[in-house]
Amino acid sequence: MRIFLSKFVVTFLALVILIAAASVQAQVRMPRLEFHERTLANGLAVVSAEDRTSPTVAIQVWYHVGSKDDPTGRSGFAHLFEHMMFKSTRNMKSEMMDRLTEDIGGVDNAFTNEDTTVYYEVVPSNYLETLLWAEADRLAGLNVDEPNFKSERDVVKEEFRQSVLTPPYGRFEHLLQQKAFVAHPYRRPTIGSIEDLDTASLPDVQSFHSTFYRPDNATLVVVGDFDQQQLDNWIDKYLAPVPKPPTPLPRVSVREPERKTEARFTEHAPNVPLPAAGITYLIPPVTSEDAAALRVAQVILAAGESSRLYHALVYEQQIAQSAGASANLLEDVSYFVLTGVAASGKKVEAIEASLLAEVKKMQDTSVSAAELDKAINQIVTNQLVERETNNGKALALGGAKVLLGDSERVNTDLARLQNVSAAEVQRVMKKYFNRENRVILYYLPEPGKAPTKK
Amino acid sequence: MSSILSLKATGMLLALQLLLTGAVFAQAPQATPPPPGPPRSLHIPAAVEHTLSNGLRVIVIERTNTPLVAAEVIIKNGAEVDPPGLPGLAHLTASLLTLGTKTRSATKIAEEIEALGGSQSAGAMWDASTVSIGVMSSKVAPALEVMADAVRNPTFRQGEIERLRQQYIDYLNVELEEPSSLASFAASRVLFGNSPYGHGLGGTPDSLKRISRADIVKLHAALYRPANSILILGGDIRPALAFELAEKYFGDWRPALRVSNVNAASPPQPPARRRVIVINKPDAAQAAVLLIQGGIKRLDPDYFRAIVANSLLDGYSGRLNQEIRIKRGLSYGAGSSFEALRDGGSFMASAQTRNDAGAQVAGLLLQEINRLGRVSLANADLVPRKAALIGGFSRELEQINGLVGDLGDHALQGLPLDESNRFVSKVQEVTTAEIQEFAARRLKANEASIVIVGNAKEFLPELRRQFKGVEVIPVADLDLNRVDLRKRRPRAGKGRRD
Repeated sequence: MRIFLSKFVVTFLALVILIAAASVQAQVRMPRLEFHERTLANGLAVVSAEDRTSPTVAIQVWYHVGSKDDPTGRSGFAHLFEHMMFKSTRNMKSEMMDRLTEDIGGVDNAFTNEDTTVYYEVVPSNYLETLLWAEADRLAGLNVDEPNFKSERDVVKEEFRQSVLTPPYGRFEHLLQQKAFVAHPYRRPTIGSIEDLDTASLPDVQSFHSTFYRPDNATLVVVGDFDQQQLDNWIDKYLAPVPKPPTPLPRVSVREPERKTEARFTEHAPNVPLPAAGITYLIPPVTSEDAAALRVAQVILAAGESSRLYHALVYEQQIAQSAGASANLLEDVSYFVLTGVAASGKKVEAIEASLLAEVKKMQDTSVSAAELDKAINQIVTNQLVERETNNGKALALGGAKVLLGDSERVNTDLARLQNVSAAEVQRVMKKYFNRENRVILYYLPEPGKAPTKK
Repeated sequence: MSSILSLKATGMLLALQLLLTGAVFAQAPQATPPPPGPPRSLHIPAAVEHTLSNGLRVIVIERTNTPLVAAEVIIKNGAEVDPPGLPGLAHLTASLLTLGTKTRSATKIAEEIEALGGSQSAGAMWDASTVSIGVMSSKVAPALEVMADAVRNPTFRQGEIERLRQQYIDYLNVELEEPSSLASFAASRVLFGNSPYGHGLGGTPDSLKRISRADIVKLHAALYRPANSILILGGDIRPALAFELAEKYFGDWRPALRVSNVNAASPPQPPARRRVIVINKPDAAQAAVLLIQGGIKRLDPDYFRAIVANSLLDGYSGRLNQEIRIKRGLSYGAGSSFEALRDGGSFMASAQTRNDAGAQVAGLLLQEINRLGRVSLANADLVPRKAALIGGFSRELEQINGLVGDLGDHALQGLPLDESNRFVSKVQEVTTAEIQEFAARRLKANEASIVIVGNAKEFLPELRRQFKGVEVIPVADLDLNRVDLRKRRPRAGKGRRD
């Protein structure tokens, strides 16, 4: 893949300065990601992109099931299930996936979020056929036993303790999500709870597999060193025979009601060295037209030390130890989070006031062209870094196909982001960041336990 | 193998894969996976270098597949030269570089770099202080201009010092609430005592308060000199252009005469006998269990034996994770590493577990380290671990940041610039017998100290059955600046002695 950025940097920059006001975007064009796409008769979608830069290949299988599909009373189950996919399958013993990847210099892993579960391997490219066989095998069926199930459930409980209970602000993030929704299953964070994990059973595993792990609910993404025709042949051989079940795929139909009034919560927890405040706003789904402007708003608010929140709360006012913003773009309904951890001796009320003041500034005054360009350059550079590896390219392709419903959005979304205007940013700030649409959370040390003094 | 990225010796790799084909697939009981096809090969670019007339060594590695450039200035000293009593000085000094120069305010520096789409970081680690940036290749010149200004002309304004000091104190206070961080701070002090690698890189809240502007200015004048520095540029940039830019922004860097020498790092003094330390943090939801012992220097002839031995213990399918996570479900992950530095090093193994399993996990870590030196190793067990080690190394080099970081380490430690090309063959040369001999000689489990941070009452009785002389330190009494780890103030009368 070649890009057409001029390498005569100095001359090029001189040119850019001349035309900066007109079209700064011209200098940050992303290399196009070319891909090939097909859908098998059993419903399996396949997206592939050849890249011969390194003799490796990234294989991902995206299942369109996430923690929003956790069975009732089984929060955390989709993620617990993800761990089970590394145990025994029809033709593989437990941990055989690791033998086929780690043992030959590759890597394998998976992640679960609210909407999807993604399994991936990066291996020397001569092992591609082997891994397609293995992915087909665990799609076709699992063969997990009780001791394996219980031991892996313990691992997930330790994961819960390690990510939520042990780090100082683990519970804070967990609580922000729980308080952000009243009806939608997004109110249950992906990791679940110890109690629900304890009630999960082995039969739940089989039933979850037969409900959601089926070819018409899966997308295979392959990026790297391979021949398209050969890949197609292997896919026909190993994945096409997996049958599509006749049963319908259940989908979450719960709708999160619009927020009508501001809500406030105060939560106390052990292990809170400095108090924190967080604000969430409901925003539209990831597929919404407004998503691009909200992503740009997030970068302007919180990317880097020149961002609005860092500059105001951490640098100028010195009331916060850290400050952040995140547009959590999800399939059904999304939420935007603003957070600040107080500097020592500072109050959460001050954090809240300053976060809200920064929101108001973005509503009252349009961001400058320079600030907008900065945000767009940050987004494009980030994307370049993310797409350096085959696995990174595969993540971008899979996300476009599964969550946005169109692989080509791997290219068009970036163009869309680069065309976001200052007026659009201001418009979404006014539209969503209002009092009725906010939930405010104070996160404080347990009563009687003073925060760290020093 | 993703490792092919890093090697020219493709023959070696082919041999490895042939060996594996038999071993790997013997496990499948029924339908078996298709075997791999023939491996493919690739070359990696060679780094080139040039030293400017002021002594600055400039190294360039060109790889054009992504329009990104990573640049790094490496100063060849870091936190190991912090004067006694002032841990955190080198890190604070490096971090202040981007917070104001003679012509740019902190805000302007951040704005300029971020407007280029880039990110920057500055800080001290062991043996080095670094300022690094990553930008699109079309933006490398203006980014280098800002970076050079930060390295050469920092003003260290008092206001910026106070602001950053308070920020770091808050940051440390948050970090000290994390059991795993606390355990690793305490462990370094236990192993290295009062020698230079014994303190936390960023110091402690107390030591940060003692640092003055004069200390910072003095350290900068002594260390930040072209002849004590290396500039590395990697990614989508032609060497000719890189050298031209280096000359333009660093060629006239000629600081005034050296003000004073910095402390040379003295060799670390490991404790005379094992210590078993419990830091009692009753609100901890998990126990962080850490084992530490003396390791090796980066240039130690044992280096490759050490990292191959470690690969048997570390990684998802390494023995520690096998025993602790996969077999027993006691942790989300267990692992180990050698930190091999210029004048010394450590070996650490660690896992987080539920509080009541703290003593059991400590026992399992020790057991596996012991086994390495005592039980003979089959080559069939070694081959996949070498593959995992090589694969991980080469994935690191797939990204420009990794490529530049790796090259920087080699340059810093005085290794040849093509050291990466020898990684695969050096790993492959290590034999099972050498690993066992190395482990028996250098990883003596009875010399390993243990630190557990957690809710002590849940694991203390069992720990005391396993080990003599357990030291219990309430978290409120902890002083990381002292080798005994205890605050000097007299204990309250009601305190129970452990």
